[in-house]
Amino acid sequence: MAGLELKSLRKNYGGVEVIKGVDLSIEHGEFVVFVGPSGCGKSTLLRMIAGLEDITGGELRIGDRVVNHVEPRDRGIAMVFQSYALYPHMTVYDNVGFGLKLAKTPKDVRDKKIRDAARILQMEHLLDRKPSQLSGGQRQRVAIGRAIVRQPEVFLFDEPLSNLDAALRVDMRMELSKLHNDLGATMIYVTHDQVEAMTLADKIVVLNAGVVQQVGSPIELYKKPANLFVAGFIGSPKMNFIDVTVQSIDAGTVTIVGKDISPVAIPADASGISVGDTVTLGIRPHELSNASTGSIVGQVMLVERLGNETIVNIALPSGSSWLAVLDGDHRLAIGQSFALAFDANAGIIFDKTGKARHPAG
Amino acid sequence: MKSRASVIGGVAAIAATFVVFVIPFLFIILMAFKDRQQSALRDFSWPNGFHLWDNVVQVVQTRNWMMVTAFINSTLITVASVTLLIVLAAMVGFVLARRKTRYNGLIEFLILAGLMIPPAVVPTIWLLQGLKLFGTLHGMVLIQVAYNLPFSIILYRAFIATIPRELDEAAVIDGARPLDVFFRVILPLLWPVTVTNIVVQSVGIFNDFTNPLYYLPGNQNATVQLTLYNFQSQFNTAYNLLFTNILLITIPPLIVFMFFNRQIVAGMTAGAVKG
Amino acid sequence: MAVSSIAGVSDVAAANRPMRSRSPYPGWFFLPAAIIYSVLFLAPTFASLYFSLTRWTLFDSTFIGLDNFVQFFREPFLVQGLVNTVIYAVVTSSLKVVIGMLLAVMLTSQIMARGYLRSVIFFPVLVSTVGVGITFTVLMHPTAGAINQGLALIGIKGPGWLVDPKLALYSVALVDVWKGVGLATVIYIAGLVAIPRDYYEAARIDGATPLQNFFYVTLPLCRPATATVITLSFIGGLRTFDLIWAMTKGGPGFASDTVASVIYKQYQAGFYGLSTAGNVVLFILIAVLVVPLTMFLNRKQGHE
Repeated sequence: MAGLELKSLRKNYGGVEVIKGVDLSIEHGEFVVFVGPSGCGKSTLLRMIAGLEDITGGELRIGDRVVNHVEPRDRGIAMVFQSYALYPHMTVYDNVGFGLKLAKTPKDVRDKKIRDAARILQMEHLLDRKPSQLSGGQRQRVAIGRAIVRQPEVFLFDEPLSNLDAALRVDMRMELSKLHNDLGATMIYVTHDQVEAMTLADKIVVLNAGVVQQVGSPIELYKKPANLFVAGFIGSPKMNFIDVTVQSIDAGTVTIVGKDISPVAIPADASGISVGDTVTLGIRPHELSNASTGSIVGQVMLVERLGNETIVNIALPSGSSWLAVLDGDHRLAIGQSFALAFDANAGIIFDKTGKARHPAG
Repeated sequence: MKSRASVIGGVAAIAATFVVFVIPFLFIILMAFKDRQQSALRDFSWPNGFHLWDNVVQVVQTRNWMMVTAFINSTLITVASVTLLIVLAAMVGFVLARRKTRYNGLIEFLILAGLMIPPAVVPTIWLLQGLKLFGTLHGMVLIQVAYNLPFSIILYRAFIATIPRELDEAAVIDGARPLDVFFRVILPLLWPVTVTNIVVQSVGIFNDFTNPLYYLPGNQNATVQLTLYNFQSQFNTAYNLLFTNILLITIPPLIVFMFFNRQIVAGMTAGAVKG
Repeated sequence: MAVSSIAGVSDVAAANRPMRSRSPYPGWFFLPAAIIYSVLFLAPTFASLYFSLTRWTLFDSTFIGLDNFVQFFREPFLVQGLVNTVIYAVVTSSLKVVIGMLLAVMLTSQIMARGYLRSVIFFPVLVSTVGVGITFTVLMHPTAGAINQGLALIGIKGPGWLVDPKLALYSVALVDVWKGVGLATVIYIAGLVAIPRDYYEAARIDGATPLQNFFYVTLPLCRPATATVITLSFIGGLRTFDLIWAMTKGGPGFASDTVASVIYKQYQAGFYGLSTAGNVVLFILIAVLVVPLTMFLNRKQGHE
């Protein structure tokens, strides 16, 4: 049984700190996704867990062992790389079996394990081929097969789907999910694609600039983002933001007003916020609807009609531009005035430090 | 499709290269077929009789079968030095391409120095004598390795830089130790540039005249290039034998050429375009 | 309690282990190559700096300061060797650049029998230098040689290729070009093939003539190949020994001696200190000429 425990894990590259003290605990069998923009340190963190990068400070436990200085082969992990990293001079069979061969596994055991892995991934017919004779999706399978055959406690995936085309990516995503259910192993998965993160993860870790922004289930992150960064990163299209002024504070709500918006009372934790402060209001595009009584009025700039929904780009008086996703098909003229309404419970207030002020409870 | 002018150009090119590059080889072959008297004329006349076999036998038997000794010596030296060169240069090229340390600059300087600086002959002889390697085949092998390492390393390093690092990492995750990573994953992938190295270095070492001249004196140590001097002074220059000898020692490079013609061009390409 | 403290101890031990041991790129991979190279190449090179300042019998050496160098530059035939070396290197490398490039342009065009031409031009590269030298010595004989007999057929009185002191060095240089131009050609072919067709198509749309194509597209874009050819053949020319030795032994007189043949002659004569001084002179000559040359060639490259 192997969970992971990261305790203020740090990584320096010649004086530059790229991982700034990550604390995280991962349960056995969890599917954890590290997500963040490129350069946020998510791959570095994964490679530190793999043992491909030295750990500058802190402690890494896999299972009940501290593995900071344990060789990758002894960490009980397997890894799938972005480019698959199949050995070009070996057949699929030898690629999958290379680790076992190095571990001096007896030939018959090895053969059985390779064939089992091939069966799970439905690639038995590919075993005699060289990687150059495989399609992208097949290479991906071989890379996963090479991981499975090691029977690791922890699977590590470094953006494994980014080299596949869109349709194949959806298929592989589902297969990975299924594989996780079948194997019951811990999986850590790095991606910059928040849709992959949302669909695969039991638990998402959002990273930015080497710092964990939030850890939680996909829905938790969507509904209750901890700060402006997570709110903006999770969800598609991106959450809308505007700067507003606090007009009054009541029990459990903050009434805000701004150039773009008439006064609305938003449920929020008001501690430390005072009347007259500038705060940020965030609303997801899907929460907006067209209503003549709406508190926000702008001008239609661009309309994308997808049939089942309509995405409207609206310019607000302050100059900021918002997106609204409306159900059904709407025919709108560019330049026309457009009023938006939303449920006050869907609004999120962020204070000056960017921290979300979700209402208590 | 092509104009008459280009056909004429092509024929002219073929004719010119024939005169310049082929005729000297035809001359060697003709001479090797002649008997001693006719060869003394050193002209392009047709051999009056087939004397090649007699000449070969005589060349091979000269000075107590020196030719055989020489071929054995040259082959041993070539095979041993090229094997060492391949392994050692690939190891250096691998770590040099993969690991960035502050010593890289120094190492690259030494490699360039090795390409440029002429070996200091007499001090090397003095050193070889001190090490009891002077006039020995293994001493000669080590000399060839030392002198030819820089070129091999450069070829390997350029090629290794094109192999993705993720492959090493995949191997490490698979449980490979450094020697496994190198010998089981990297070295097999270097095959194209290894072929180039084998061809270039084996031809160079087999044809080397200068270094055996200095470091490998003595008849029992003769290499094939030195056998050419058997017939110049000794027989008051027996041209038929001299050219038979040239012909014989040209056969190994010819075989290499026939097998690797294409790879040589491809391999030199990889190294040269990068500069 | 006891268990946790043992775990703690092992953790500390693990933490103290040097990280470097884990690198899949171990530094000791350098070691075998470094030992062979240092002992057999670097050490003698450094030793030569000392021994060039001595009178030396291999068994003992007497320090005589710069006497060897003074002698080197006082003897006219030694100085001539120095001049010859530079002439030889300049002549061979420039001919190889020009001819190699022309041949490469020809061989990358739609010419017939490309395979034959390529093979024929490249093959001499693989042949024994000494064998080539001996063959051409015979062919270049002033009266009995096939070259002059061939020239006589068309009414030209051929020169005394190797016996004319004014000509001998250049004759050897020609043979050097004959043997080495194939390598230059192959390097140029590689450089030419690497030039994207787009440039020629763009030039064609701009209305460039074939000659303009060559001067404005081909020539500048195969500069890396030019740099390689020049550097390789120039260094090779400065160090040349075997061809000279096979063809003229530096003669007639000292007319075709190079520094490398002087080094050998002094070695044969037992003047080990003087021979080693020759080595140092050659070393300095190469450094003085080649380092600025490569810097010049690379600067141009970076400029593009």
